[in-house]
Amino acid sequence: MELIDRYVYAVGRYLPRKNRADIQAELRSLLSDTLEARVPGEAGEEDEVALLKEFGPPAKVAASYRPESQYLIGPELFPTFRTVVGIALLVMVVVYAVLLGLLLFTDPDPLKALDVLSGFIGSALSVLGTIVVIFYGLQYFDVRLAKPSQDWDPRELPDVDVKNEINRGGTIFDIVVEFVLLIALLVFPTRIGVVVTPGTPVLTDPVITSHIPLIVAALIAGLVVNIILLWRGRWQTGTRLAKIASNLFSLVVLAVLISGHAAWLSETTGSGFFGLLSSLPEMLASIPEQTLTIAMYFIQWGLIIAMIVTVIETIEIGYRTFRQIMGWDSALSQVASQQAGHNP
Amino acid sequence: MIYGIMCRMVNMINSSDVYEKLVQELRRGVLVLATLSQLGEAKYGYSLINELAEQGLNIDQGTLYPLLRRLEADGLLQSEWNTEGSRPRRYYVISPSGASLLQALSDEWRGLAAVLNQLLSNE
Repeated sequence: MELIDRYVYAVGRYLPRKNRADIQAELRSLLSDTLEARVPGEAGEEDEVALLKEFGPPAKVAASYRPESQYLIGPELFPTFRTVVGIALLVMVVVYAVLLGLLLFTDPDPLKALDVLSGFIGSALSVLGTIVVIFYGLQYFDVRLAKPSQDWDPRELPDVDVKNEINRGGTIFDIVVEFVLLIALLVFPTRIGVVVTPGTPVLTDPVITSHIPLIVAALIAGLVVNIILLWRGRWQTGTRLAKIASNLFSLVVLAVLISGHAAWLSETTGSGFFGLLSSLPEMLASIPEQTLTIAMYFIQWGLIIAMIVTVIETIEIGYRTFRQIMGWDSALSQVASQQAGHNP
Repeated sequence: MIYGIMCRMVNMINSSDVYEKLVQELRRGVLVLATLSQLGEAKYGYSLINELAEQGLNIDQGTLYPLLRRLEADGLLQSEWNTEGSRPRRYYVISPSGASLLQALSDEWRGLAAVLNQLLSNE
């Protein structure tokens, strides 16, 4: 029955989450019925191989559970695509609603509100276009090229692998954060900053505005890796290495930004990296003149925290990749299943 | 020219890919009708496929099982899990709207079959 388990699991990976478990249960029941009717007594591996070959490759079987259609983004990818588009639209609506609120609060000019609305439509279209391009790339390079051939072999199915499944909530959260930052940096880099008093110009973070292309590149790299993760649904050596690469890139960018902030702060306040901490109370007292300095100070610490989190995440993924490459995990699981008596 | 067309048609029939494709299309059309006609009483997938095969209609398992679900999604079938047998099985039975559709489809089929028989006998 092991091949049937792997087969049902593989089909499930292509099914929509909504009725995945149900279709899997039915498929298992049908396969068992057929096998039982054909082979009285204990069925061997050869019998299962023959049966599964007859049923067809998992992706094809899963696709037949959906309406037939031609597509730019295929049924294997579409659920992930819909999730990502949903996230992006939600993020944009929230970001623009906040922006519109702030604008109406500081400068109640209906023409500017119209500006924001037309900006929303334009950037929504470009964000959606970007997502379609990313997914079409995935469809072309990942799905189409990996299309199952005629001499598909059930014995090459991946093992049932629950422990390597990704943390979906965490990945979606990462994608949300990346979209928020991307939209903020791409759409209105000059409007994000500190407004000391209503009507005065926005004071922007000079370090961030001078490194926008670098930050955007790091965010897009992270976004692409997270989308691939969301679609694959589990960690593999390839996705782990891609994640490590995008994290290392982010770390470089974070390091550049942190040192830029440190340099700016020491130049402006004359104190060193940690020096501002002692003068913080008196600076807080002299708001609004020092607002930008204080904001820069907090941004710097936010960046440092982001760097620490990224370092920890990268070390953890690196450790797991190392285990996987060394083959420790499969050896351990073999020992476990032997102890449980599945594989005497 | 007529000879040319005939040659091409013979080539098409010989080309097994095209033949397979056309047979599949032909069967797909009548599959819904055949399925609905057998589900007056509740059956699970494997029993249905067996019953159809016994009566001479061999259907690919990978075609029939997803079809049952689509028919259910369209409201033509109803289904429920039954755990009384040796393993849990999903039983399908025709719904009231499925029954009235079956009636209409059957009439359509009889008309079509009559016309086609006529056409084929004129050949």
